[in-house]
Amino acid sequence: MTDKPIQGEQRVFMTGNEAVAWAALAAGAQIMYGYPITPQNEIMHYWTRLAPMYGRKFLQTEDEISAGFTTIGGVLAGVKAFTGSAGPGNTLMQEPMSMAEMMRLPTVMVVTQRGGPSTATVIYSQQEVTMTCYGGNGEGFRIVYSTSGQQDLFDYTIKAFNTAWKYRFPTFVLGDGYQAKMREPFVIYDPELRGIEMVKAEPYMGNPGTPGIDRDPAHLRNTYNMEDELLEAVRQIGAAYEKISPEVVEYEQFETGDAKVLLVAHGIVSRAAQGAVKVLRQQGYQVGHFRPITLRPFPGVELKAAADKARHVLLIESSYGQFKKLVTDGIYGCTTPILSYLKPGEGITVEEIVAEAKKLF
Amino acid sequence: MPAGEVANIYPAKEQRVVEAYVGEYASGKSEVAINRALFLAAKGRQVTIADLDLVEPFYTLRPIKKVLEAKGLKVIAWDATKATGLGEAGTVILPEARWVLRNPGDIILDIGYGVKGARSLNLLHGYQEVKELRVYAVANISRPVTGTEERIVEYIKSLGRVDGLINNTHLGDDTDVGTVQRGAAVVSDAAARLGLPVIFTSVEEKLAPAVGRIDERGNPVFVLRRYMPGAFW
Repeated sequence: MTDKPIQGEQRVFMTGNEAVAWAALAAGAQIMYGYPITPQNEIMHYWTRLAPMYGRKFLQTEDEISAGFTTIGGVLAGVKAFTGSAGPGNTLMQEPMSMAEMMRLPTVMVVTQRGGPSTATVIYSQQEVTMTCYGGNGEGFRIVYSTSGQQDLFDYTIKAFNTAWKYRFPTFVLGDGYQAKMREPFVIYDPELRGIEMVKAEPYMGNPGTPGIDRDPAHLRNTYNMEDELLEAVRQIGAAYEKISPEVVEYEQFETGDAKVLLVAHGIVSRAAQGAVKVLRQQGYQVGHFRPITLRPFPGVELKAAADKARHVLLIESSYGQFKKLVTDGIYGCTTPILSYLKPGEGITVEEIVAEAKKLF
Repeated sequence: MPAGEVANIYPAKEQRVVEAYVGEYASGKSEVAINRALFLAAKGRQVTIADLDLVEPFYTLRPIKKVLEAKGLKVIAWDATKATGLGEAGTVILPEARWVLRNPGDIILDIGYGVKGARSLNLLHGYQEVKELRVYAVANISRPVTGTEERIVEYIKSLGRVDGLINNTHLGDDTDVGTVQRGAAVVSDAAARLGLPVIFTSVEEKLAPAVGRIDERGNPVFVLRRYMPGAFW
């Protein structure tokens, strides 16, 4: 009954939502809390089909606010807990996720971005970048991995549990509706066999011993009486976040060495940018691509180094500039002109990027 | 071997084909259904294909509706412009789909996934009376939820009426002959336990010559061309 969900390695053909469910199983997640929303639903569907086979649990709550807070309850009790949502559901999740930020709780949330603002479409977009990175009334003390396909969703969902429990910041896997529903082959594996040691979960509350004598009291606060108390608390969280950021930051570069035009894209759009680099290089154009994998913390230093060398930066995203804000903030001081190709709520193809990039030669 | 060529699943000229494709999510139902419909149409037969996916009614045949119509199929599927506002409230059946079985000629039904999907057959007018109807379940063992004989048997039993299995085992662009043959073995064993026939093993065009006209378990091979990657929604 409670065998390892994945024995060894296996090449499979799946949707992204399934990949997330299998990854959460492989990562040792013990419970998912959730409320249905498209295009996230199959994470729940597959989790509820698979979880009982491996002694894991699921709770459907009355809404996303509750799903977020029960996820917090799960981690306080010392179990690896996660949730998933999209669009307006992600909006509601921001209240509990702010609390996780303030209390430094290792919640894991998978976001399958859909169109916005509001209900918009149930299909796809990259319009939950700002909300996932900086949602709620917080300061963005979160870790956000932007995935670009099934293998990423599997790898980074596993990684998210480790990042969350190691650093104790709420951690997000930022996918989208295309990745959620599309199918492609990739490899699922038992993380242990890849030498990935899973960080152990431990309870925040109800530990043995007398608080104040045998151990520190579990004094978790999201409420402060005075401004100076809050100031100190937020400064401490900020300092801790800045300290871990260099360790957490991840990015990929494709042919950026001599690139005259630097394509900057994240998530599934990076796949199209990678394709465009191949096509353009074959045709003799000096084009490279920089893909931030972590949007929080943002690899600003590394991106600035690549952007400084280029003649133009071409920024491409399926939103109306949410990613662009992260980029311009991250590379502040860079004088390379930034052109953008913004398509909120719609996919971007290799051909489109090729055409846009050629305009800059 | 051109798309659709297969040794022994040609219907006789006067025989009406009514086939419903059911199965696990992402098992390849739509791809198999489209190819089956085009195969029949290429033989000069009159073919209607209906999208009965009530689970995700707007994510299946809709984006390639025009492509299929241009190839001579009558396509019963939601039109994006007519579906405005229905969004994820995906329990809407296209009125003409309800009476799809009254269409003359061959009928191919692409059914939504899982148990809920299989039950949508009950919504079709005349469903009980059409004696030609066959319900085929599509399985891909590269999907762990239907990755073993055990799991396929369990899953098929949950679907209600199933008259045969289709081995659609593949790994997208990473498929090789071994992938197909391993699927043939597992699906054939599951079919035997269920007392059902394997209708065919489907193989993408480029691998078809290497697999041959029958798979290692003696099931006919049905050659597929992939249309669903064009369903970019």
